[in-house]
Amino acid sequence: MMSNSNYKFDWNVIEKYWPEILKGLIITIQISLAGMAFSILLGICLANGKLSNNLLIVRISSSITELFRSIPLFVLLFWIYYGFSLKFNFALTEFEAGVLALGITGGAYMAEVFRAGLLAVPIGQLEAAYAIGLSKMQSSMFIIFPQAIRIIIPPMVNIYIGLLKGATIVSVIGVSDMIYVARYVSLETFAPFELYSLVGIIFISLTLSISGFVYLLERKLGRSKVDG
Amino acid sequence: MGNSKSFFEFEAVVSSWDILLKGFAVAMFAATLATALAIILGLVVALMRLSTVAIYRWIAFAFTQFFRGVPLYVLLVWVYFGLAIAVNINLSAILAGVVTLALLNAGYLSETFRSGILAIDSGQIEAGLALGLSKQVVFKEIVLPQAFRIVIPPMGNQYVDAIKDSAILSIIGVPELMRESQQLANLYYQPFEFYTCAGLLYLIAVVLVSRGTNKLEKRFYTHSAQN
Amino acid sequence: MNRTTESYIEIINLSKSFGSHKVLDNINLTVNRGEVVAIIGPSGSGKSTLLRCLNFLTRSESGEIKFQNRSWSLNSEGKRYKGKKYEKSLSELRSEVGMVFQNFNVFPHKTAVQNVELGLIKVRKMTKNSAREIAIKKLEQVGLGDKINQYPDKLSGGQKQRVAIARALALEPRVMLFDEVTSSLDPELVGGILEEIRRLANTGITMLVVTHEMGFAFQVAHRIVFMDSGKIVEVGTPDEIRNSQEPRTRAFLSAIL
Repeated sequence: MMSNSNYKFDWNVIEKYWPEILKGLIITIQISLAGMAFSILLGICLANGKLSNNLLIVRISSSITELFRSIPLFVLLFWIYYGFSLKFNFALTEFEAGVLALGITGGAYMAEVFRAGLLAVPIGQLEAAYAIGLSKMQSSMFIIFPQAIRIIIPPMVNIYIGLLKGATIVSVIGVSDMIYVARYVSLETFAPFELYSLVGIIFISLTLSISGFVYLLERKLGRSKVDG
Repeated sequence: MGNSKSFFEFEAVVSSWDILLKGFAVAMFAATLATALAIILGLVVALMRLSTVAIYRWIAFAFTQFFRGVPLYVLLVWVYFGLAIAVNINLSAILAGVVTLALLNAGYLSETFRSGILAIDSGQIEAGLALGLSKQVVFKEIVLPQAFRIVIPPMGNQYVDAIKDSAILSIIGVPELMRESQQLANLYYQPFEFYTCAGLLYLIAVVLVSRGTNKLEKRFYTHSAQN
Repeated sequence: MNRTTESYIEIINLSKSFGSHKVLDNINLTVNRGEVVAIIGPSGSGKSTLLRCLNFLTRSESGEIKFQNRSWSLNSEGKRYKGKKYEKSLSELRSEVGMVFQNFNVFPHKTAVQNVELGLIKVRKMTKNSAREIAIKKLEQVGLGDKINQYPDKLSGGQKQRVAIARALALEPRVMLFDEVTSSLDPELVGGILEEIRRLANTGITMLVVTHEMGFAFQVAHRIVFMDSGKIVEVGTPDEIRNSQEPRTRAFLSAIL
């Protein structure tokens, strides 16, 4: 399977092109953060829908969540950027299409996280809030939300890691992220192995440091856990 | 239906049905094979992490961290366009895709299996040992069957993720559903129709697998309550 | 009753610590063949740990345990056994020593009869058919003849504990260890399980019973061991213990009875 390789390793390309790669990284981070913001908004809407008293709204929210979770991000991205925008003459930049696709996928996951977080706060807490005369709004803001947020944050960061990893595919529609940069530089330098290795290492360090952060956060939040 | 002005133009999609189905079959084959490999590898890695030998634990830990940290797209591009070229291996796209997908899923499954095994009450193990069963028999007869029940739902989720992720294999030219859809979309200049159709097919696969997992879990759940 | 004066189990200078906490502090005890010994004492006195040391579910760090003059702790040179071969040999000992736990620990993924036949098939290497025959007989003995194909989640606590007893008895052990076997049971189910143990005591099997049921202990046991803070405070016949002059024993018994 293996024959004598003619491949000339040239690690100098990294030294020469790392600023470009880093610029690509910043785009990846931007797109994932924007996607995350969209996910949070969508997630809140869907979670509220799922917890609604109206059965129809519950059904619709659940179906939308299920649908968004089931479509591969990659397919969604193509559907939005090539299919949807062409069909409806809706001009989208590559960046916007990427944010939308990430936001829809992430939002479906966030919905479940929000729902679980809100449900985890015991009903007695709400009753106690009403009992001391807080309004529904005040109870949610000052009693339920601060307790739910501790449960929500760790899985939320995990979803962000997922979006960050998912954001790597936006180069296929032409967003000039890290992989995109690595690809065109490697066409010039014939050093794909070195460049993709660099991209991989940057990514692993990024995701691992965020996971490490979640781990520490979970331990810290775990100590002041919500109790009944 | 045949009207070219209609909202959804069926004709091209319907006439390409066999190509789409073949692509769908390739996608399912890749995802299923990758998941099967990932289950075996994930179990080995989980056992290594639970080993008393420190070096096994470290290797397994590094494996898990690495493959959970790297995005599929990055790893796929690295393996197929980077590694294969650098060491000059003639790697088929489908092989590269399945192996990469399997490695990533094994990283996740190893954690699932580890926590499933650790979730078994130590009293169960002690009761087995107290009967005079060897550690191996205790593991095989008592720990593994109970852990299996616990890991059915996350295992089903992993299979679903593998099906969804398999769409990314199109970038290295694996002739799966997404790849075929892209080519047909360009050929007929009907991206909306073809990508909608692709999305629906993935949706069907995902829903079927989720349902199947639920059924399997329910069938096993009846007797899984501790004591 | 075929109680003998032949020493059957010997516990010599046994000590065990969890961290800096000494759970067992230089325990010495001899149990004769056919003897029923009840171990009583306050919570955390080391009763259960002592019992678990006897089949090596818990390892003592010093001291020795002998069954019929064979040491299971030290080799002929007086060094502590260790290693894979020793771990394997423990199976042999454990199959001779039945144990019943506080939390039942029945296997939830196996039916009552599968729970009982597992040891027969895997340890005694019996065929499935003869194992099943014995398993059914043992379940009938503990009054579960009509539940043999039930999974544990369909059984009450008392029934689960009966399965656990049948599971241990199926291997025809020479010693039975009972570790607070009625503590997780609803009060109305305690009597039935105690009756089961009482019946077993009359068969002449050697038994060590850790229990909080004082009435039962004084009725059934030939000797009573009172433990406190990891030490054996007193050993004696039920009458001797009942009339003990030892202040700690008196304090414990007056608080309970």
